[in-house]
Amino acid sequence: MSLLTEFLADPACIRAWRPKEWNRFLPLLREARLMTRALFLAESAGTVDAIPARIVDQMIGARAQTRYVQIQAVRELRLVLQALQHENIRVMALKGVAYQVAALPLAKWRGLSDIDLLVDRADVERAEASLLRSGWVVNGEFDDYDQRYYREWMHEVPPLRHAARETEVDLHHNLSPPVSRIRIDAAELWRGAVAAGENVGMEVSVLSDCDMLLHNAVHLFMNDELRGGLRDVMDFRDLYMHFGTGDEQFEQRLLARAEALGCGLPLYYAIDTARRLVALKPGEKMVADLSRHRPSVFTRSLMRWLIEHALAPTQTALRTTALANWLLFVRSHWIRMPKALLLRHLVRKTLKRRAPISTIQETPG
Amino acid sequence: MSRPTKLILDTGPFRVGITSAIPQLGDTIAFFYRDAISTDRGDVLDYNIGLHRPPGLRAMVRPQVVFDVDGLRPFDPQPLENAFPVFEWGLNWCIATSAHRYMMLHAGTIAFDGQAMILPGTPGSGKSTLSAALHLSGARLLSDEFGLVRPETAELLPLPRGIPLKNASIEAILEFDPAAPLGPTYPKTRKGRVRHLRPDADSLRCQAQPAVPRWLVFPKYVAGAPEVLTPLSRLEAFRQLAFNCFNYTLLGETGFEAVDRIVRAVDCYTFTFSRLDAAVTALQALAQGRQLAIGAGGKA
Repeated sequence: MSLLTEFLADPACIRAWRPKEWNRFLPLLREARLMTRALFLAESAGTVDAIPARIVDQMIGARAQTRYVQIQAVRELRLVLQALQHENIRVMALKGVAYQVAALPLAKWRGLSDIDLLVDRADVERAEASLLRSGWVVNGEFDDYDQRYYREWMHEVPPLRHAARETEVDLHHNLSPPVSRIRIDAAELWRGAVAAGENVGMEVSVLSDCDMLLHNAVHLFMNDELRGGLRDVMDFRDLYMHFGTGDEQFEQRLLARAEALGCGLPLYYAIDTARRLVALKPGEKMVADLSRHRPSVFTRSLMRWLIEHALAPTQTALRTTALANWLLFVRSHWIRMPKALLLRHLVRKTLKRRAPISTIQETPG
Repeated sequence: MSRPTKLILDTGPFRVGITSAIPQLGDTIAFFYRDAISTDRGDVLDYNIGLHRPPGLRAMVRPQVVFDVDGLRPFDPQPLENAFPVFEWGLNWCIATSAHRYMMLHAGTIAFDGQAMILPGTPGSGKSTLSAALHLSGARLLSDEFGLVRPETAELLPLPRGIPLKNASIEAILEFDPAAPLGPTYPKTRKGRVRHLRPDADSLRCQAQPAVPRWLVFPKYVAGAPEVLTPLSRLEAFRQLAFNCFNYTLLGETGFEAVDRIVRAVDCYTFTFSRLDAAVTALQALAQGRQLAIGAGGKA
């Protein structure tokens, strides 16, 4: 356990901390992008008084920045919806921006850096073309291979960026790649969709409560960007607790939905990880029922080691973190690509040195 | 290579850990901040900075320095001889990207008996040169790069650092005060030739004491122009101060209210100048309640 997961599991633990612990904690918190979350956690646990004043000030700074990016994201969503409104394309907000439009408790503390949207597969290229005509550009350089990688094997088109505002928009047509071993029926997601337009004043929907959690689980365990993934684990815990409070049927609905969508394994990993790292407390029946999706002892132990080292490092930029990230990167592709394709892709990625071998990048705060 | 040493720098509200094995860097930091540095007593830190020479063959041919903060390396390696400017610039970057608990004005700020004069400035406006000259003439240096404002009270928090004088400003300051305590010359930085002016001991000793904004002066260096203070309307002062605030948009309503609070509390002027000594005399007179230049009246 790292100081960070100790705190996330029990915010009262900081009462015993000395400067040495705080100095190890702050960089981990910054890297995990959980500064704002930490302030809200300490507030609801009544432990802000136990945080050194200068660290409270740093957290207040992070909260101001979080609020700003949230406002920007919702504004950007409106502009995207405006650009698409004459195309007759239905749009669903995903992840960070979905938490904003659905006004979930997470909307208070969750930062975000891009706008993730879901549209129908049949509409995705029309939506892309429409945005490209309205001021968005392709974000980055994509050669023919990359283009093909996205368009044939992925569940999204290459990311777009607004030329002037620099904000990134990711257009998805599913939550997992079409070539993946976990294949989700997108039509089923749309059947469960919930209208959430009133907070943005435009027509947009979000995933149902269960699907939102399953998306988080699938994203966390199939994504190649596990760095900072502890934030996703916290999102999972926060969503789970929010939807589960006052709804006794929630856990059974969630499990049934996971099985209907073929997401039993990601749900198993998400719950297992959130239990061990951030003290999620699922019901006993849920734990018992979930065990039918449990992988073998060997796979389970390996994954636990990998996840723990990738998600809860005891200090920033540790070598084992980099190794665990690389192995999980390989694994995420193992799940989502057929073997021959995977081999070709990894060779190419390695040659182009685009794999996340180093964890040293990005800005603090 | 010698063992890395760790020292603690208190700079305004921030406590910074600095670990480095580069001997000249420790000496330079000690030259500028002697009264604000201490050995590591195990205090809680805002930023834990390291400045190290990267390993590898290339580093032997062309010595370099890498800046890291909390284990992250946000910048490419820089020439080793620029270790101190890299440290200063890197620390400013840390503050600028995270200290949104404060409103950050891009301004020189100085104080006359606890009353602060804010000198916002775009590069080339002469704010650093003017702040340096006023400081050399006895005013307390609050800050050169960041005017830190506590939004709730609109107080200015000191952040006294070496004032980076660029190119011709170096000679201008030496002409103004041949005894000015300047650090080493860095002939080739990204901003040209740079030499820093050391803040006086008093400014460092008082760096925990906030100051109340009293004057807001927008300086503009115009070659050959006479020194003229012209009152500025509060509306225009608001607009220009907000424009010179790093995180005005980010802070939203908090920023709007803080700028409003400052603009209501100060006398606002624009100030054109060309001669440093005459400029200092004019601004000192303003601070003492005497008006030498035209446009007396102050309240707009």
